[in-house]
Amino acid sequence: MSMVPKRIMKEVERLTKDPVPGISAEPQEGNIRYFSVLMDGPDSSPYEGGHFRLELFLPEEYPMSPPKVRFLTKMYHPNIDKLGRICLDILKDKWSPALQIRTVLLSIQALLSAPNPDDPLANDVAEHWKSDEKAAIQTAREWTQKHAK
Amino acid sequence: MEDLGSDSGVQSQPDKGKGTADDEDGATQDYGDTYDFDDDDEFFGMDDSGFEPVVSSRDQRKPWEVEYHVHDAHGLHDKQEAMINRLVPVLSVSKDITTILLRNSQWKEESLVERYLSDPDKTIRDAGMFPNAPAPELKTGNEDFTCEICYCDGPEEVYLGLGCGHAFCTDCYVTYLTGKVLEGMSWRIRCPGAKCKALVGEQAARLLLANEPKILERYEDNLTRSFVNDLDSFTWCPAPNCEYGIECHVPKSAWATIVPTVHCRCGKAFCFGCNMDDHMPAPCFLVEKWLQKCKDDSETSNWLKANTKECTKCKATIEKNGGCNHMTCRKCAHEFCWVCMGPWTEHQQAYYQCNRYNEDSSKNARDSISKSRALLERYLHYYSRFSNHERSAKLARRLLTTTETNMEQMQRNSSMSWIEVQFLSAAVDMLSACRATLKWSYVLAYYMESDNQKLIFENNQSDLEMATETLNELVENPVHERTIEEAKRLIIDKTQYVKTRWETLLRDTAQGLQENRWKFQD
Repeated sequence: MSMVPKRIMKEVERLTKDPVPGISAEPQEGNIRYFSVLMDGPDSSPYEGGHFRLELFLPEEYPMSPPKVRFLTKMYHPNIDKLGRICLDILKDKWSPALQIRTVLLSIQALLSAPNPDDPLANDVAEHWKSDEKAAIQTAREWTQKHAK
Repeated sequence: MEDLGSDSGVQSQPDKGKGTADDEDGATQDYGDTYDFDDDDEFFGMDDSGFEPVVSSRDQRKPWEVEYHVHDAHGLHDKQEAMINRLVPVLSVSKDITTILLRNSQWKEESLVERYLSDPDKTIRDAGMFPNAPAPELKTGNEDFTCEICYCDGPEEVYLGLGCGHAFCTDCYVTYLTGKVLEGMSWRIRCPGAKCKALVGEQAARLLLANEPKILERYEDNLTRSFVNDLDSFTWCPAPNCEYGIECHVPKSAWATIVPTVHCRCGKAFCFGCNMDDHMPAPCFLVEKWLQKCKDDSETSNWLKANTKECTKCKATIEKNGGCNHMTCRKCAHEFCWVCMGPWTEHQQAYYQCNRYNEDSSKNARDSISKSRALLERYLHYYSRFSNHERSAKLARRLLTTTETNMEQMQRNSSMSWIEVQFLSAAVDMLSACRATLKWSYVLAYYMESDNQKLIFENNQSDLEMATETLNELVENPVHERTIEEAKRLIIDKTQYVKTRWETLLRDTAQGLQENRWKFQD
């Protein structure tokens, strides 16, 4: 295995020493590029009270390329699809090498607070969100209760 | 004309290698100004390009020719430099900023100056630069420096920062730039800082990539590429592997009445408007329509014509694949006779044979069919001629190679020198040009509404067609030592004649399009 860059070591160090409130990210034993993430649903969002599991992987080109992140817990969210893939600009063309694991996870948490049905990944969910937001939020709450406890 | 150095002015392909003396035919002067599109606001910098045409291009331009310039990579680079350098004193900011401003405004000098003068700072900031930032430089010896990408730190690190305040070590910067450059980017590359809108200017990029000559070269290529892509008056030659860029100032609004054919230095003749192979005399919009029609129709309609008839009532296309002549349309249940197309009710007594061909009702039925068939026939008439010339053009290209051998043979078999056998390749060049023109002339004719003007056009067309066929025959005939002088004389004469016919057709259509002489139908 190639040498782990200083950058990754430092990030891990900081994540452990000074964790983000409501988010824990731990590298897998034996693979420092693979992280198991546990994220609390943000307050006053349909995901409140839920604990969501994610996986995060740092590709070889990181930080020149963005990390790959995916929800493992089932989500009802217009920008997250059935497979847990996330539609977020900084994970794609707006990626900057100055961003970090910490900032990425914070952005994902922010996305849970502010779903954007106009730029959907899960079309049916987005449609639901746009036609009847109340009902959509209710479904998201139910899913949180059912899958993210 | 190729030897003018920088291809300023116009060329007509078959004249290649000849002088300009025989280009005079008296018709040029009248149209000298018709093609004057070099409006000052679009056509800047021409005087800086360093070309000195021997003869003013306008004097030798023919009615169907447009003004254009072929640029190689250096020429394109110089062109950009000239535009930038001219604007630096006007804006009185650094060259780096001027460059970005120009690129950012798609090289629209006038609107940029206007915007800039009303609010210089905002214009610069909107473009991703910083008004008073010092020139980018590599720094070192900073105790507090930490690279936000690799987290290296300390006074020994070499780093670079832009006006936005984000600084990164050179190693990270170079890796970052390399990735972006290989993606095809150039001046649009932004500072690596998160969501930072600052642009890494050309000066900074060149500084950082100084030790990466291959990437730097690619970066410069990308810059030129975006220059040509961003300007409406520039396009790349579409020939594979050709690296020339063409500059032409015939505006888009004129493409309906002018065919902006340009000849690249690589030999490719193409339309500046639609990047298709030269399609004179048909204008772009008809070409597009025609090709779409051919794509939709040609093969299918050929087959339909050969194998089907239409129901006389509902026009459904019917293929008879067996059975008797008593047809019942599946679509409208109309019963008719396949032989005479008349209604079946009149055939009651005469089963399996049709002896009522002249009955009125069956005649009417046939008439209505023939009307819709006539449209198809009409299309096929033009299409078959179009595709015949296309095929002949391909053969003419093949003829070019056999001509080379013939020319060598002639030199060996007769006392002729190399220069004396050039007539043969001139004839073949002429043939190719005529085939292309004839091919597209049928597209023009297809859409023309029938009137006297169309008749005149068709006369010109048929004159050229006949002359072309004769020349084709002459060129393909085997030449013997005994008859070589005679053959040469014939071919030279015919080539000259064909050329006159060709020019007549092109001149007439160019003028006709300008004057809206023809009405076009769908």
